[in-house]
Amino acid sequence: MVEKTSNDLAISVENLTKRYGDLTAVNGISFDVKRGEIFAFLGPNGAGKTTTVEMLVGLRKPTSGGANVLGFDITRDLKEIKRRIGVLPQSFNTYDRLTVKENIEYFAGLFDCSPDVDGLIKLVDLEDKKKEQFRNLSGGLKQRLGIAVALVNDPEVVFLDEPSSGLDPKARHGVWRLIENLHDEGKTVFLTTHYMEEADALAERVGIIHNGNIVALDEKDKLIAAHGKKNLLVLRKADPKAVSVIGKLGLKAKSDDGDVTINLNSGVAVSDVMQALSTARVSYSELQLKRSSLEDVFLNLTGEELGKEDAD
Amino acid sequence: MTNHILLDLKACLKTFARNKSTIFWTLAFPCVLILIFGAIFSQSSIRNDLYVQNQDLVDGEASFWSDQIISILNETDAFNIRMVDVSINATDYALENRLDSLLIIPEGFNDSANMAFFTGGELSANLTFVYDQSSSSSAIVQSIVMGVVESMNFEFSNGRNYLVVEGVAIAPQRFSFIDFFMPGVIGMTAMTTSVFTSVAISSRFKETGVFHKLATTPLKRYEWILSRTIFNILVSYLGMAVMLIVGVVVFGMTITVDAVSLVMVAMASLLFSGIGMIIARFVKDPDGADAAANVITFPMMFLSGTFFELSQMPQFLQAIAAVLPLTYVSEGLRAAMIFGQADQAISNTILVSIMGIIAIIIGSWITKWEDD
Repeated sequence: MVEKTSNDLAISVENLTKRYGDLTAVNGISFDVKRGEIFAFLGPNGAGKTTTVEMLVGLRKPTSGGANVLGFDITRDLKEIKRRIGVLPQSFNTYDRLTVKENIEYFAGLFDCSPDVDGLIKLVDLEDKKKEQFRNLSGGLKQRLGIAVALVNDPEVVFLDEPSSGLDPKARHGVWRLIENLHDEGKTVFLTTHYMEEADALAERVGIIHNGNIVALDEKDKLIAAHGKKNLLVLRKADPKAVSVIGKLGLKAKSDDGDVTINLNSGVAVSDVMQALSTARVSYSELQLKRSSLEDVFLNLTGEELGKEDAD
Repeated sequence: MTNHILLDLKACLKTFARNKSTIFWTLAFPCVLILIFGAIFSQSSIRNDLYVQNQDLVDGEASFWSDQIISILNETDAFNIRMVDVSINATDYALENRLDSLLIIPEGFNDSANMAFFTGGELSANLTFVYDQSSSSSAIVQSIVMGVVESMNFEFSNGRNYLVVEGVAIAPQRFSFIDFFMPGVIGMTAMTTSVFTSVAISSRFKETGVFHKLATTPLKRYEWILSRTIFNILVSYLGMAVMLIVGVVVFGMTITVDAVSLVMVAMASLLFSGIGMIIARFVKDPDGADAAANVITFPMMFLSGTFFELSQMPQFLQAIAAVLPLTYVSEGLRAAMIFGQADQAISNTILVSIMGIIAIIIGSWITKWEDD
């Protein structure tokens, strides 16, 4: 049982553990999620993301440790928690021969509430599909309906488990816009994903989970600064003398196959580099800034690649 | 609670009404079965035995004339002669066992026959032929029996009616194969509807994560199970109504739908819903669930007296039928709807209810929405 009940915290997790025989799916993880923030749990398949979410929403019992959601204990106060949260399970499914509108009304009825159904349909941009049966919707539209269903009880915390998994880029960006809207409405969003871009685009804070352990957790910029690779400036088809010009600025640079790659690791501003290159009349056809990413952070911390399109 | 059940029930009914395939297998297919089997067998009987009770015994042995009659009947090779114990009330026995034809050779028949011959036909010796007038085969059996007696009269007395056969009808209504068949198909449909619906929905909801989603709402598991069971009962009633309409309109059936038969259909749906849930708990995916449901329902369909009377099956199959729940459903429905045997109908309904409550409790208990 977790005793931490700060009003600023939507979720508070302490030493949460889930074991299946000899397999430890979640290994004593601890973290907090603040009210109103988008928190992303980033990790590859089988890292323990879904197991964590399922323990927080009452679908699995922890082996040890505990957590509070909105100040309620996840093992004792599930009834209270259920009324206050919205959940989008991985690959949302529902009554496949009910229409979009009927499904929203069905779940609203289960919560004994009367939301603005048309408003929810508009929110998820399904107005022209509201009479369409669920089975006839594309994957992206199904996920959008899943988000609408997760909002029928006007939840304070929304759990989204791999909300854009398996969707094409257009559908994925549509789901991202919806998640941003939830944030704008002041809702707390707990998001799991194995898409680095998703965490990067949406989350304020990111927890990186690997083999059931949280290997890093912070604001994403701080994570990149602390654990990412250094930013690189690449000059395409550049004059080789660029290497010596950059060297005078105290930066490392190397020429390879006509391109010059500059390592921006010494606190030298990009504008200073550009100025030096201009003064020395160094020619190049294209200039490219390569920023370090959460992918690099993950690689650096785990020695493994995160993977981009795998399903969890 | 009631709101949640009604809400889910409404969702089930909408889903059902929009699924043409389910409607066909639930409503149209049993009607097709009735039409086909009814057309083939409506004029035929399933019974062709002649039961004989010889009350005219001398020191435990058949008297001369009674023995003569039985021997001649046997020689016709027209039916199987089955002897009925003399201590039993023959008419009650015929009613209880739904016999087609039963010939009673009364006590003193031998003396009466001798007297008839002695008086030159002023007196006669009577035999009693108890028969189910609804059975077409009983008329055939009766005509053969009459023929045998007439030939004996002709042979021994030049055609005078020394021996007389008195007919006693024991069934007030005419029952044909379709009458026998209909309750069986109603029971079978309640079984297939409930088992397949429960198995299919439970396994699909488990695989696609709908159970997980429902588990995150205030809906209770027992509310959902109640809704599903009520749905199965309603669909079974709907199927029953459609089949009865076909039976009455197409075959002119005379059938009784009383409270007992309605309770029996509801309890059968409860029982098979529970069995469906139990099956769904132990299968991994919807395909496996479908196969498992077939394994359970298919043998029951043929071994529980849906299509054939149990007494026509070999002994070992009858022993198997005795442990199949559908047997008690079919027999109970038949007793209530066709034969008017209230005692058997009620006792079978009670038995099916007990099995149903046990099955639904086990099914509810082992159906999980959450993971371990």
